[in-house]
Amino acid sequence: MSVRQLEKHRVGLVGARTPLIDGVEKVTGRARYTADLPAAGALCGRILRSPLPHARIVSVDTSAAEALEGVVAVCTGEDCRVPFGVLPIAENEFPLAREKVRYRGDPVAAVAAVDEATAARALKLIRVEYEKLPAYFDSGKAMKPGAVPIHAEKPNNVLREVHAEFGDSEAGFAAADLVREKTYRFAEVNHVHIEPNATLAEYDPERGHLTLHTTTQVPYYVLLKVAQCMEMDEASIRVVKPFVGGGFGARTECLHFEIIAGLLARKAGATVRLLQTREETFLAHRGRPDTKITVKLGMKRDGKLTACHLQAVQNGGAYASYGIITILYTGALLHGIYEIPAIKHDGWRVYTNTPPCGAQRGHGTVDARAAFEALMNEMAAELGLDAFAVRQVNLLPSIPYVTAYTQRVMSYGLPECLEKVMKASGWAERRGNLPKGRGLGLGCSHFVSGTTTPKHWTGEPHAAVNLRLDFDGGITVLTGAADIGQGSSTMAAQMVAETLSVDWNRLRVISADSALTPKDNGSYSSRVTFMVGNAAVHAASQLKRILTEAAAKKLEASADDIECEHEMFRVVGTDKELPFHDAVKAALVDTGPITVKGTFTSPTEFMGDKKVKGSAIGATMGFCYAAQVVECSVDEVTGKVTAHKAWVAVDVGRALNPLAVEGQVQGGVWMGMGQAMSEETRFDEGRMLHGNMLDYRVPTMVESPDIEVFIVESIDPNGPFGAKEASEGMLAGFLPAVMDAVHEATGVRPYTLPLSPERIGDLLDARDGVQS
Amino acid sequence: MNLMPEFRCHRPTTLEEAVRLKAAAASARFVGGGTDLLVNLRRGLGEPTDLIDLTAVADLAAIRYQDGALWVGAGVTLADLARHPEILASYPAVADAALAVAGPTHRAAATLGGNLCQDTRCIFYNQSEWWREGNGWCLKYLGDKCHVVVKSDRCYATYHGDVAPVLMVLGAEAVLASPRGVRRIALAELYRESGAEHLTLGPDEVLAAVALPPPAGRRAAYAKARVRDAVDFPLAGVAVALRRDGDVIGELGVAITGTNSAPLMIDTDALIGRAWNDEAAAVLALSLRKTANLLRTTITGPKYRRRAMQGMTRRLMDTLWNGR
Repeated sequence: MSVRQLEKHRVGLVGARTPLIDGVEKVTGRARYTADLPAAGALCGRILRSPLPHARIVSVDTSAAEALEGVVAVCTGEDCRVPFGVLPIAENEFPLAREKVRYRGDPVAAVAAVDEATAARALKLIRVEYEKLPAYFDSGKAMKPGAVPIHAEKPNNVLREVHAEFGDSEAGFAAADLVREKTYRFAEVNHVHIEPNATLAEYDPERGHLTLHTTTQVPYYVLLKVAQCMEMDEASIRVVKPFVGGGFGARTECLHFEIIAGLLARKAGATVRLLQTREETFLAHRGRPDTKITVKLGMKRDGKLTACHLQAVQNGGAYASYGIITILYTGALLHGIYEIPAIKHDGWRVYTNTPPCGAQRGHGTVDARAAFEALMNEMAAELGLDAFAVRQVNLLPSIPYVTAYTQRVMSYGLPECLEKVMKASGWAERRGNLPKGRGLGLGCSHFVSGTTTPKHWTGEPHAAVNLRLDFDGGITVLTGAADIGQGSSTMAAQMVAETLSVDWNRLRVISADSALTPKDNGSYSSRVTFMVGNAAVHAASQLKRILTEAAAKKLEASADDIECEHEMFRVVGTDKELPFHDAVKAALVDTGPITVKGTFTSPTEFMGDKKVKGSAIGATMGFCYAAQVVECSVDEVTGKVTAHKAWVAVDVGRALNPLAVEGQVQGGVWMGMGQAMSEETRFDEGRMLHGNMLDYRVPTMVESPDIEVFIVESIDPNGPFGAKEASEGMLAGFLPAVMDAVHEATGVRPYTLPLSPERIGDLLDARDGVQS
Repeated sequence: MNLMPEFRCHRPTTLEEAVRLKAAAASARFVGGGTDLLVNLRRGLGEPTDLIDLTAVADLAAIRYQDGALWVGAGVTLADLARHPEILASYPAVADAALAVAGPTHRAAATLGGNLCQDTRCIFYNQSEWWREGNGWCLKYLGDKCHVVVKSDRCYATYHGDVAPVLMVLGAEAVLASPRGVRRIALAELYRESGAEHLTLGPDEVLAAVALPPPAGRRAAYAKARVRDAVDFPLAGVAVALRRDGDVIGELGVAITGTNSAPLMIDTDALIGRAWNDEAAAVLALSLRKTANLLRTTITGPKYRRRAMQGMTRRLMDTLWNGR
């Protein structure tokens, strides 16, 4: 695609600050989420969950529940014998437990009844006999020899162990002037998407068809897994994603409640509404695991890195989920941000008897990146070097750049990101000169713009978009991309508006309905703008060609001599012109309504290299880069850390919609802040203590610092109009930045996150020699 | 969403009717804004047959001077309390404490009476029915075992109200109404240190108002330790009211919350007539230690809560002593 001068003044065009196309519906309350969907006569579904973290199921007696008036269907593990999981190589979860339960909250049975009170009574009538098994809540105990396997196929409770070395790390450390090794501990966190999980399942017993409306980021994966577990033909299932109140990775795989809703609806031969409480939404989890990172870096006197060795151990929870990918990502994204001659990586993803972890914004890289950057800051201080100087000396030397992991870096705005936040934060004058109790810190981070290796390899294009044009002149964008608030529908429409040079109001978007829209892998790994965006541009280019040819015919000119601007087709250099509507009419003659299909396929050179084990993970066409400076203060009496300001510069390739980019960047930084400052899950012998929004402490508006966003545009050669990912890459940087700011403020270096008042209090007391 | 249990709802317009309704139904509960009670009922914490909504009782919503004291009706919302001119002029610490409660939407509905009479809290209690059942219930509700202090015969759930300690150090009285009439007690006497029965109200009694005596030269302040500066309950809270007479402490009230099953006054007798300095601070710290009983009732551990309580008290005393 040629990158030309873009106009930025018309809403909807590339570069124009464009309100989200579905924004008004949301802010006026007109938008309907799954729980709001009208479904007269729908039965109420409820799930019975295990009270034990690890046990053998001896028996399940549902007879009393089934006999209760108003109960229409009761399901147990007997109703589904096929396991599911997002990775075809690790499908080991049942929607309703069979033989064993593996975390406190594992679903055991479910009921559909005429109302909620009856469903609740029915749950109390189900008798489950368990035989307790030893339970493990941290990886150390789960991995100990003699521990009872949580899954029979993994006797040591390790889901995946990874070891990789690129370059000679031993030689690298030997060549360093300073070598340091530190261990960091990151508490488990959850996404806390505001809309709780919910599914509306409608079963048509006559035709054997099932329709699901569900809270998902991946309608296609939901369809696949529901069909698999229910042993149904995929053609008999329709999955629709209504408005969704956030996802952040929690909904990037089919989850148990979605299959359970389907099972209940089929058994009842009716419609079942299965709403999950906040506690149940926490139990479905899929958050970022409790992670221990030991990182060792070698540095020359000038800060140049000579080698990196990173070891990661994750308490993954009870099922595989994305675990294999998560642990691989802790190594894959050591590459591609700095030039490091040798990188060694060891990782262990361990099963524990806690709710299953999965993908969360910044998947796999956040804790590893935070530990790496924190140690970089610490070593810079030890060497008397400025934190910025240490980044600058390690920048990738030239672009394009191919990493040892075979990732191709085609655009790299990190140098400019560093310049922008250094200047904006007043770093040179203020760092080291702030009053006691106040500090500044720096962190950098990056993330993939979509994984080029889908979980279910089909050989199909990575994305497809249909455009429909009919007599009314309206253009309908049909995309399978799931808008979960990130703005993918707006983005797809913008690609069409810009390519066709049409008015924003001419466009409508229909998304994420398997009966109407082309298949899309879903909203994860920040793939949508890059892949669906390119597919939308491809589709629009074809429609443009059709309209241009029709206009050329009408204007009796060659199509090559036609230009189109502001809905006007014109013969270049003349005043012969044809309005858009007339071009549409001309194009419909003989053919009738027009449907075009655009696709995007990643070239194979971006898909990793079979010779490099694991390189399919972290394989991407472009990285988003970010640098951020955080300013904080610490109240030594209460131990409270307050973030006052974050300056963040992000290389997004091109800001297709600066308004949306700023929002996404602020959201990403903010989520990093939550993890850094206050968010953590807490368990008492496997009992989830944090299952509500009082005890799981997502920051409130009061704790939210001003987040000043600087957009850096490196114009990626492969992204749509040069765009890359814009919502994950900036998350990780907040953690090391605030850790370093706390060090400047107090003189203590934190190694455990979050920096809750409790932890800071302990660090300050240790510094001051206070006896407890 | 969990279902609310079924109950009859009453909306009396007079105090007399309210207490009569309460006396008539054994398990009836009063409800003000509902920000504490309704959340608990949804979790299956209680199954009252009747709820008596007090928000239509006009008498409860007044703030007025009576017998030389400022009477604040139990039905006054925390938002109104925090912006009332008399409160801001004479008792700014009360407004500060009210503003420290939860978030703006809670405060718009929550009432002073509901805040003072809020239930005690514990990580083993404020959980869903499924959660508590799987944990064998607990001493506070439906069970016979305390998970905080094993083998205890009383519940250690913690009182986390923000407003009570400030009112206590200002010498407030609770005005209680029942079919037998009205009585006044020191606010501290509204509470007892027992997590499952922390209020001394009789079964047919209602907290009608709080009577605040004139400030009389006392300056008061409230500090609260919490992870987030909105929404969170106090992990520990301290209220201090101090009258400095020249170089010595003339009068001193210190009360704590978020530490025990009731908000408690701290013994400060030994400090009266002394200057505020490091030695005095050590005396007060010892007194705090003797009274506070911080246990594992919140996700945040007791060690931090002790540290914060002591640190905040010292800072409040320094600030008030120095007239800042």
